[in-house]
Amino acid sequence: MNRRLLWKLILLITAGIVAMFYLINYVTVRAEEEMSMLSQAHRDELRDWGKQAETLYFSDDRASLERWLEVLQQREDTLAAVVGYSIRHVAGSLGLEDRYSGNNLGRDVEWKIHLYFENNPVMEIPFENSDISFLVLLPDRMRPGNYWQTTRLLLQIFLPALILAILSVLLYRHIMQPLISLQRATREFSRGDFSVRVRPQLGARRDEFSELANTFDQMAARIGEQLVNQRQLIADFSHELRTPLTRLEIAIDSLGKHYPDDPNVQRLYRESRHFRKLTEDTLALAWLDNEQPRLTQETLDLVDLIDVIVDDARFEFPDREIETYLPDSAELKNSSHQAVGQALENILRNALRYTPAGKVVEVALAGCQLGTGAAGFQVTVNDGGPGVPDALLETIFRPFYQTDPSRNTESGGVGLGLALARRQLKAVGGLVVASNRPQGGLCMTISLPAV
Amino acid sequence: MNPDANPAPSPCRILVAEDDSELNQQITSMVRDAGYQTGSCLDGEAVLQEVARQSYQLILLDLMLPKLDGLSVLRLLRKSSQIPVIVVTAKGAEEERITGLRHGADDYISKPFNQVELLLRVEALLRRAQPVIEQKRESLEIDQLNLRLSDLKARVGTEDMDLTAIQFNLLWELAASRGEVLSKAYLSREVLNRPLGAYDRSLDMHLSRVRRKLSQAGWRGERLQTVRGKGYCLK
Repeated sequence: MNRRLLWKLILLITAGIVAMFYLINYVTVRAEEEMSMLSQAHRDELRDWGKQAETLYFSDDRASLERWLEVLQQREDTLAAVVGYSIRHVAGSLGLEDRYSGNNLGRDVEWKIHLYFENNPVMEIPFENSDISFLVLLPDRMRPGNYWQTTRLLLQIFLPALILAILSVLLYRHIMQPLISLQRATREFSRGDFSVRVRPQLGARRDEFSELANTFDQMAARIGEQLVNQRQLIADFSHELRTPLTRLEIAIDSLGKHYPDDPNVQRLYRESRHFRKLTEDTLALAWLDNEQPRLTQETLDLVDLIDVIVDDARFEFPDREIETYLPDSAELKNSSHQAVGQALENILRNALRYTPAGKVVEVALAGCQLGTGAAGFQVTVNDGGPGVPDALLETIFRPFYQTDPSRNTESGGVGLGLALARRQLKAVGGLVVASNRPQGGLCMTISLPAV
Repeated sequence: MNPDANPAPSPCRILVAEDDSELNQQITSMVRDAGYQTGSCLDGEAVLQEVARQSYQLILLDLMLPKLDGLSVLRLLRKSSQIPVIVVTAKGAEEERITGLRHGADDYISKPFNQVELLLRVEALLRRAQPVIEQKRESLEIDQLNLRLSDLKARVGTEDMDLTAIQFNLLWELAASRGEVLSKAYLSREVLNRPLGAYDRSLDMHLSRVRRKLSQAGWRGERLQTVRGKGYCLK
């Protein structure tokens, strides 16, 4: 396995951090230097003081020089003096001491002030061509580097923090970008889009993540192929059954003409009806699963639909009683009466099948607010049957699931009704939930959006 | 609308186009038993030749035909003729509805079907295709119920009923053929202007609403009767 991501991280983190420290050091040194210098105005002022002292000194008016110094010291709250010095040779070569003329006793105004010394330095302005200098303890108001502490804090804490934060964001994005693609793909895959692939989204990237993407894509391709094949098989199978089933039905029809009362012919009728229902339901189920359609082209009145379905059910189950509680009208927009109708029909049939003869099935319709907050309608179908163990309340919506394994085709169920109902309701934005009634029996609650 | 009683004075000729030879034979003899004349074809090209050779009043057209598929046949046929066509498909109801397989067909029926279902559709289409001889009536009166065609007004006694155009037309059709069972396939064509699809409850829903409104207006709505497996009838 190649470790490109590891090398990338090593390179980015080591090189990045070393470069950062170098940069910060450089910037700090430069900034301190810049901030250590006296401002030009202060330099001029100091030089001016030197000139005045020089003029006074050479005019030989010691009293006024003394007075001027007194005034200056008072005003600036500092020490100032005019001093002379002589250089005394102690040992070694002669002449070196004369080569340099300039500052011997204090700092020149062009030099930088060491900000790490707490005390102000003594500034020296030498008089021209003499061994006399004007000395002054730098007044506080001229000390440079007012913002040095703040600046140092910024440079040594906030700047590295900022750079590290940016580095982290870059790293995060580099790592998260493929993970986000993968997450999106997984979500689409789980929604049933088996054609989704991650690798092309990562572009030219070749590292541990692109290998993960490749593995995901292989898995998606394999599972997708299997599912599609399986569904295609079911669809093809149901499809291929239709022509022979038609032949069978027509043959039974003509047989029925000759032997209308033969119980075997009646049985053939029943069985072929059962076959037909199974085929249609399986094909509808495969189609709903394959296409995940949204059936929303129609406006209908739910009351009329329930009327029609209850009417049919009363005919089909004459020995059970159906009580309805319906308003006068309940308009559904953006729906499909075929989908809602088949779903309601399957749920009602299921309820009637489990309700013993003579008992009541209740169908009620009321406006309600859906979980999403939108307006909708709720249809409840309560049966008088035995109910379902709580653990199986979801399982009954699985295809071909039957709570009673001993049930046979005689009762007409093929175990696809509720599975179909749930998918058909989903296609119109609705849902169905099963619960047990406290007084016994199953309650099916169907929620449908009104718009 | 009894399948045994042939509606036309001179028997209609029906072409059965189905590639499964056994099923073709079964449908042909079933249609012949119902009193029609028949012809049969096993592929798409043969349909076009047969229609050119002889005049037919209706075609039962399977969509999956060899040589030339059903939809192509229908398209070529429609260039020169308005002969009624019932398309036979082996697809589910939902698929048809979405993919619009009924394009250009007058009606469609999906496999598997039985004798009653097929013959009801054949009759409905032939009845429609025949020129209307009955005199145009302007209004109908049944007990307290009064229907006026000119402004689609229905009233019970002196009270106006609030019916939509579709609901009025449905009631009018049933009232005009009072006592007779009208098939859903026929009513769907006449009232909703479209073929009856599988699991299509539109017509039933409209009828249920009309029944409700009649009862509310004080007229006995249950006189609009459902005849199971056949259609509706106003007693």
